Amino acid sequence: MIAISRRDTFPLAITVVALVFLGLFLLYPLFNVFGASFLDRAGAHFTFANYTRMLSSRFYLGSLTNSLLLGVLATLLTIALGVPLAFCLARLPIPGKSLLLALASLPLVLPSFVAAYALVLLFGRAGIITHLLRDIGIPFSSIYGIAGMTIVFALTLFPYVVFPAVAAFKAVDVSIEEAGQNLGSSRWRTFWTVTLPVVMPAVLAGGLLVFIDVLENFGVPFVLAEDKPILAVEAYKLFVGETGGNPASAGVLGVALIVCAAIALLIQRHYLGVRRFSTAARRAPPELVVTPRLRRLASTYSWAVIVAALVPFIAIIVISFTEFRGPVMHANLSFDNFRDLLNQSSRPLVNTLALSTAAAIAAAAIGVPIGFAITRFRSKISALLDVIATTPFAVAGTVLGIGLIISFNSGWLVLTGGWLILVLAWMVRKIPFNVRASAAILQQIDPSLEEASINLGVSPLMTFARLTVPLMTGAVIGGMVLTWVTVASELSSTVVLYSGPWATMTVVMFQALEGEGAGIASAAATVLIVVTVLPVALVYRLLRRHELGMM
Amino acid sequence: MWAGDVLTAISIDHVSRSFGTVRAVDDVSLEVEDGEFFTLLGPSGCGKTTLLRAIAGFADLDSGQIRFGNRRIDTLPPHRRSTGMVFQNYAIFPNLTVGGNVAYGLKARGVVAAEIKRRVARALKLAQLDGLGERWPHQLSGGQLQRVAIARCLVIEPEVLLLDEPLSNLDAKLRVEMRAEIRQLQQELRITAVYVTHDQEEALAISDRIAVMRAGRLEQVAKPQQIYRAPETPFVAEFMGTTNLLTGTVAGCEGEMLRVRVGPQEFRAAGDRREDASVCFSLRPEAIRLLGIGEAPPPGWSTFEAELGEIEFLGAMTRVALKINNGAVVRVASLDLLPDELNARGRVTAAYDPRRITVFPG
Repeated sequence: MIAISRRDTFPLAITVVALVFLGLFLLYPLFNVFGASFLDRAGAHFTFANYTRMLSSRFYLGSLTNSLLLGVLATLLTIALGVPLAFCLARLPIPGKSLLLALASLPLVLPSFVAAYALVLLFGRAGIITHLLRDIGIPFSSIYGIAGMTIVFALTLFPYVVFPAVAAFKAVDVSIEEAGQNLGSSRWRTFWTVTLPVVMPAVLAGGLLVFIDVLENFGVPFVLAEDKPILAVEAYKLFVGETGGNPASAGVLGVALIVCAAIALLIQRHYLGVRRFSTAARRAPPELVVTPRLRRLASTYSWAVIVAALVPFIAIIVISFTEFRGPVMHANLSFDNFRDLLNQSSRPLVNTLALSTAAAIAAAAIGVPIGFAITRFRSKISALLDVIATTPFAVAGTVLGIGLIISFNSGWLVLTGGWLILVLAWMVRKIPFNVRASAAILQQIDPSLEEASINLGVSPLMTFARLTVPLMTGAVIGGMVLTWVTVASELSSTVVLYSGPWATMTVVMFQALEGEGAGIASAAATVLIVVTVLPVALVYRLLRRHELGMM
Repeated sequence: MWAGDVLTAISIDHVSRSFGTVRAVDDVSLEVEDGEFFTLLGPSGCGKTTLLRAIAGFADLDSGQIRFGNRRIDTLPPHRRSTGMVFQNYAIFPNLTVGGNVAYGLKARGVVAAEIKRRVARALKLAQLDGLGERWPHQLSGGQLQRVAIARCLVIEPEVLLLDEPLSNLDAKLRVEMRAEIRQLQQELRITAVYVTHDQEEALAISDRIAVMRAGRLEQVAKPQQIYRAPETPFVAEFMGTTNLLTGTVAGCEGEMLRVRVGPQEFRAAGDRREDASVCFSLRPEAIRLLGIGEAPPPGWSTFEAELGEIEFLGAMTRVALKINNGAVVRVASLDLLPDELNARGRVTAAYDPRRITVFPG
């Protein structure tokens, strides 16, 4: 018999509420996607026919291999770019270091498909730079295809690797490096044999984020894949297909996406399982003393990566102030794009701001208590909650969107067509992030503080509200703002779920790009950048205070 | 002046608590009297902290009961038990000032603001923290944090004060000062206190009674001097400071004295055992004296011959290892003895008081 003491009623209540919520809005929709993939066309009989049909199709099998190949290449390139950058930022004397760190968080703001589109305008077949290169005799085809997408992903997703890696490099206890050198290892060898292995878990955690983000990303392949099939895009096309939706075939691709992400997650867990390094450095390691030549090299490298990542930003802002005649760009300063955008409606901007805010608050309101329950109370049920609360992380936005539509299109709870379904989808998608952020900060708060409060006569519930939450404030707000920023630029579930009046800024951009309205899209992107830069600045300050350790 | 009239005895009745397959507290029963300073002493992992946390309500019981006076409290949630706990790391709330920390428990009880102010001021004074109420925890030293932790507990006038290795994070000198202060405060307030430590010297200095614990069970519960002078088990004898534990066979009886043979060497010890019985006995190093050449032992003492081993000079004291014939080593602690006086001698005569030997069943 499992004895449940009274002391545990509060976390138990959290756990039950969270499980009900996630059961309804995560597991049930996923179950329906799964179920749909096993039903015949009439939706009546169980069949494996969808799987045999899809897996024997060269096109859809190609989408699977393309997605996996893209995920692996983009992850490797991101790590290859990000780890040296993180090392430079954490340990080397680089001029303008804090500015670099601030700029490095900017790619989180711009939807990656907009960055991709900006690069198309520069490096596409008719791109400005493509022409320039051809004019001076350098043969450059274009950035379409796997290589181009890999580059776009590396330039937009590198913060996922860089921030945890910077934190990890700063947390390395210098004495273990000194011990390595004292035992006769050169500085270079010490880096490879001591420092790098110690930061590797953090790097791989970030790498996993990149891999899963690439796998589920919908917008970038939509812009750059051309004829190459990509899982997330094909699932969307099958579901909303012009010839009538095919939930069964979309379900098969959705299941394939989830399986790939889950396998990556399990591999990473297995790797981290035996590598729990606690690097409890009392203070950050000092900057290394290096030769001026190495210092110049490191500075050049760091600035080059960050500037490259900012190219899409600058391009989008410049383009938004450029005159368009139809799809053709002319090099004149013009506010027409903004005028056209405003003439359409201000509703999408309001939607984006209001719904993102609602989702950020709601995701924190459920994610923080879950983080509390799984860190402070170890039991079988909290372990189950831990697994389920991590699941959204492995679920592509497109798939969750399809699941929510199948589940809440009719019956006792109808959500399709409204705003709530968007907020719910975003909330569910960002719960893992909020749970991780609050669990991370809770691990730094000694449980004896809470025990002291309870011992002084404050109930567990009030202790959580009056002591634990105030102690977590910085991290919780940081998590909320990051959630806000990332859902404001979310596309993959939004594009499936939005309806009529509830279009958001990303939907406006997406539709404008589809319809050759690059001017309006870039104006919308500029507006989004402006309204989200302020919160990012705030996040940056908070992240700095938390030693960038909460991502 | 404080809650001096509310005296609370604690009775712990057949309490058990397991973690997985480990029985952290294994069927422990004991009574702590009103206003007593009671210490749970033992090596790490002996269950002393688990027992303390069970009293506070942070470790649930698998079986047994805990009562304060006649009231059963093990069924109460921890925030209703009226215990004041001082944590090993002090657990001072970093987001509150010193005054805010001390007022925390009063606010939870809905005490009115003016009363809170008065009682916080009094508690700060009692803990010698006058004028530090506005400070932030990070501005305080370890000793001051310790005082805040104590003031924060005392201000709620708990029935029982629980202290979980409160001095282990302080440096040696401060530790000695603070333990005297804690003892003095407890005496002034006449509050029942349960104190957990692994430091036997601290336990001896501070306690009315000590319970020595081992592997979840009580080895011995007694006053400090009994625990030291009359340990009931070899474990207690060895844990309470350095001792010589020797094993031998009873060779015979002389009135109230046993003759115990350890190899070829015979020791005399107070006790009552049958002949040929295998026994183990404890002889404290400070109960042995090295005799000068030709010096006679004090009346009633016995002697043995031994070879000099390592000599360790510790200033006030010198430790000497003596090798007796069968190879066993007997350690001696001698005040005012200089190594130079010994170095020239190969063999020495050592004297001991047979009444200071404690004999255990072998």
